[in-house]
Amino acid sequence: MSKNVRYENVNKIFGLGTKNEVHALKDISFTINEGELFCLLGPSGCGKTTLLRNTAGLDTITSGKMYYGDVDISTIPPYKRNIGMVFQSYALYPHMSIFENVAYGLRVRKVPNDVVTRKVTEVMELVGLQEELKRNPSPTALSGGQQQRVAIARALVYDPDVLLLDEPLANLDAKLRRYMRAEIRRIQKATNITTIFVTHDQEEAMAVGDRLAVLRKGVVEQIGTSDELYNQPKNAFVANFIGKMNFFNSHVVSTNKEETVVEIDTAGIRVAIKAEKRHVEPNVGDEVLIGGRPEYLAVSAESSENSIPGQVKIIQHLGSFIRYEVEINKSISPVTLEIDMDSLQKDIHEGDMVNVTFDTSRVALFSPEGREL
Amino acid sequence: MSKYSMIENGAETNKIKKFFQKDFSQFIVFAIPMIFIGIFLLYPMAITLIRAFWAPAEYTFKFTGWSLEGFRTFFGTKLYLRALVNSIIVSLSVTILCILIGVPMGYCVARVKIPGKKLLVSLGILPIIMPSFVGAYTWVILLGNKGIVRTALNFILKPFGVTLPSIYGMFGMILCMTLTYYPFVFQMAYGAFSGANALLEESAMLMGAGKARIMRTITLPLIIPSLGAAALLVFVRAIGNFGIPAVIGGNNYVLPTLIKFAYGGAGDINLASSIAVINVIITGLVLYIQKYIVNRHEYETISASHTDIKQHESLGAKIFAIILCLIVLIFSLLPQLTIIVMSFFKRWTGLLPSDFTWTNYANIFKKSSHELFNSFFLSIVATIMCAIFGSILAYITERKRPKGSALLDLSIMAPFILPGTVVSIALLSAFGGNGLMKLTGTYLILIISYMIRRTPYVYRSVAANLTQLNPSLEEASTISGATWFYTFRRVSVPLILPSIISGSVMTLTTLLQELSTTILLYGPRTRTVPIQIFNAVNENDLGRASALSTVLLIVVFAIIYTMNSRKGTDLSSSMKM
Repeated sequence: MSKNVRYENVNKIFGLGTKNEVHALKDISFTINEGELFCLLGPSGCGKTTLLRNTAGLDTITSGKMYYGDVDISTIPPYKRNIGMVFQSYALYPHMSIFENVAYGLRVRKVPNDVVTRKVTEVMELVGLQEELKRNPSPTALSGGQQQRVAIARALVYDPDVLLLDEPLANLDAKLRRYMRAEIRRIQKATNITTIFVTHDQEEAMAVGDRLAVLRKGVVEQIGTSDELYNQPKNAFVANFIGKMNFFNSHVVSTNKEETVVEIDTAGIRVAIKAEKRHVEPNVGDEVLIGGRPEYLAVSAESSENSIPGQVKIIQHLGSFIRYEVEINKSISPVTLEIDMDSLQKDIHEGDMVNVTFDTSRVALFSPEGREL
Repeated sequence: MSKYSMIENGAETNKIKKFFQKDFSQFIVFAIPMIFIGIFLLYPMAITLIRAFWAPAEYTFKFTGWSLEGFRTFFGTKLYLRALVNSIIVSLSVTILCILIGVPMGYCVARVKIPGKKLLVSLGILPIIMPSFVGAYTWVILLGNKGIVRTALNFILKPFGVTLPSIYGMFGMILCMTLTYYPFVFQMAYGAFSGANALLEESAMLMGAGKARIMRTITLPLIIPSLGAAALLVFVRAIGNFGIPAVIGGNNYVLPTLIKFAYGGAGDINLASSIAVINVIITGLVLYIQKYIVNRHEYETISASHTDIKQHESLGAKIFAIILCLIVLIFSLLPQLTIIVMSFFKRWTGLLPSDFTWTNYANIFKKSSHELFNSFFLSIVATIMCAIFGSILAYITERKRPKGSALLDLSIMAPFILPGTVVSIALLSAFGGNGLMKLTGTYLILIISYMIRRTPYVYRSVAANLTQLNPSLEEASTISGATWFYTFRRVSVPLILPSIISGSVMTLTTLLQELSTTILLYGPRTRTVPIQIFNAVNENDLGRASALSTVLLIVVFAIIYTMNSRKGTDLSSSMKM
């Protein structure tokens, strides 16, 4: 039976009391719902794998509580937690056939032979390996994608309360990765087991997860659906981690309940931003950032009112759109802007001077903190 | 800080809860080998160190009072000092000669396109798996005053005005040990040269470096760490070898024979302990120097991809390589051939053996059945125990990494580096007299000494295997609901089985020919085949010694051959340190 997973003020400190103390998880508190496919997302070193290993019990948390349903599992050893886990390396046993690999958890539970055979057959059908099961080879004889399926089957076969996936797609090539992430979603929805999926790939997380948590330096920055995180990022870090966000250094000119007026540094352009697009409490004179997605910016050869001059560095054809990388005054944006246009601008070439404009109704206001990934 | 102290309080209550939920099976499994090490390794070593500072004893293990007499005797007597100098000269010469023979030969087999490489590598390992003192007395036959090899070599060397020195003495010891131990260097060099990343040398070539420069700046520096390990192995084996100096050392004592002389001849366990301590200090010093040199040349492998190494194909290189390998192999395998021939004759005093006979073999069944039983019984029991303890200890140091695991590692490996006679003296010091228990002359003390000396084979081989084994395999089992013991039984042990087997084979084959530990510990009931061979050699009964040696050779060879024909087992990993 599936259960929800709840974290209450979870802290993990490696090397507690030594010089090399690392505070890997800081006061983590949130709940993963029953039957949910939940993604832990973040750059390397953000604590996502630490949180997963602690959820599994392979590490023990320094303080706080973790619950599966109503049961406090903070101090329960991993082999009593009834969880399934798929490792990045798959961790298939090379000395056992794929049948015995999948059956392992059932053998541990002393399940009778006929039930083992039935359950293994069922789960192998679910992951689409019924043909391979008939030949029953050693896992080393399988392709990467098939090994991945065996690893998932092995974790699912004993109906765990929670399924944990640690960067499960990292070892697959790009095409297979896209196919397998759809497969994982299909299998998860078929079994309805609460699942935690760890990845550093935001595209993967948005494609797979019902909800996502973005972690940074051991702190949960934001939790929400893919749509919420993309369209209403709470801060500059989330905005730039979930998709790309271009930032313009600005300062607050005036502010009231409905809107805030900011001026872009040096350019002298003033923009009014609606209250719901404010992700910072602005005071007059504050340093802030205006953030705009690549698709809300535009380049043009002609100058217009409220445009920022810049130089095209690189033009990339990316299929459905064209990406222009434009360098503007470094005091406005120290990094090059990424601007996506629906079609190729015939009069603009690499090296040309252009003018950048943006849709003022689609930009948002952020605190400068966390703009660097 | 208040927030942190709150966290620590939480950790306290967690700890108590965790204690009661822990899976204790692993602690029970871990405790047994640890207790064994404590009682039979650390305690005897400590006692030896203490005894080294006791006054001389005559056939007694009782306390004789504190004194520096042992060391005074050692450094004040010409015979003893001479033994120390001999030991150092022999071990250093042997180490250097082994490098000079092993490295070029390893390079030739790895990098020159010659036929029969696999056979060369297998033949190149034979000398270390054959009893070394057996080889020593065959050189007496071959290089003695009228020996066939001496006659031939003198004939060749005559135009240069050189004659070979006597086989009895330093020349003989260095020759025998070099031919016995060069395989350590050869096997290592072969592995390093053939396993090196070809891209490194190719990129140097593209940057314009010549062959000699590549060799000097890329190829050789990269093998220094493994070369250092092999050189150390040769040195500790050479300084600890008892059989060769005992057979052909003549009047030239070395430390192991001196220890036997002090204990067996003078009955002074305390003097023997003093010598043992000096021996340990020298070995420790060499170990330290080796680590110092190697640590400065430790490299991580950076490249991800490997390409096959290019091999020399010129005719000159091929001919040179084949001749070099053949000369070394013929010389190092000559003793084994000689033994087999000798076992069918009564005597071999001149150029050729005389009086063909079967009685040498017939006598084995009449006079040696008890010794054969002893050898096999002791070796097999000790090997099984070594396999169990070695794998558990490797698991502890590799997977659990407790505090002080480096110390644990050192104490497990110490008997591997220390001479066998030193280990025997330590066991005698602790269990010889009216100490904790009296074990002299029992099967038990031999099994214990074998275990202490040979556990490192399985230990090292399993530890090497475990480092390559992804811990997530074991974690996956835990996640599936398995307890520690279930995981150990079903996942860990099957996966490390190949390394347990290869370590055990090394253990069994070396134990069947064990002499240096047994010589001080055996009693009338517990004589082994190597002891009987040793005594036969001393009584000049070469026919009998050869027949017994041939039996040992065949058994050892059969074990190694069976093991080599199995897939996935690798002897070399248990030889590393």
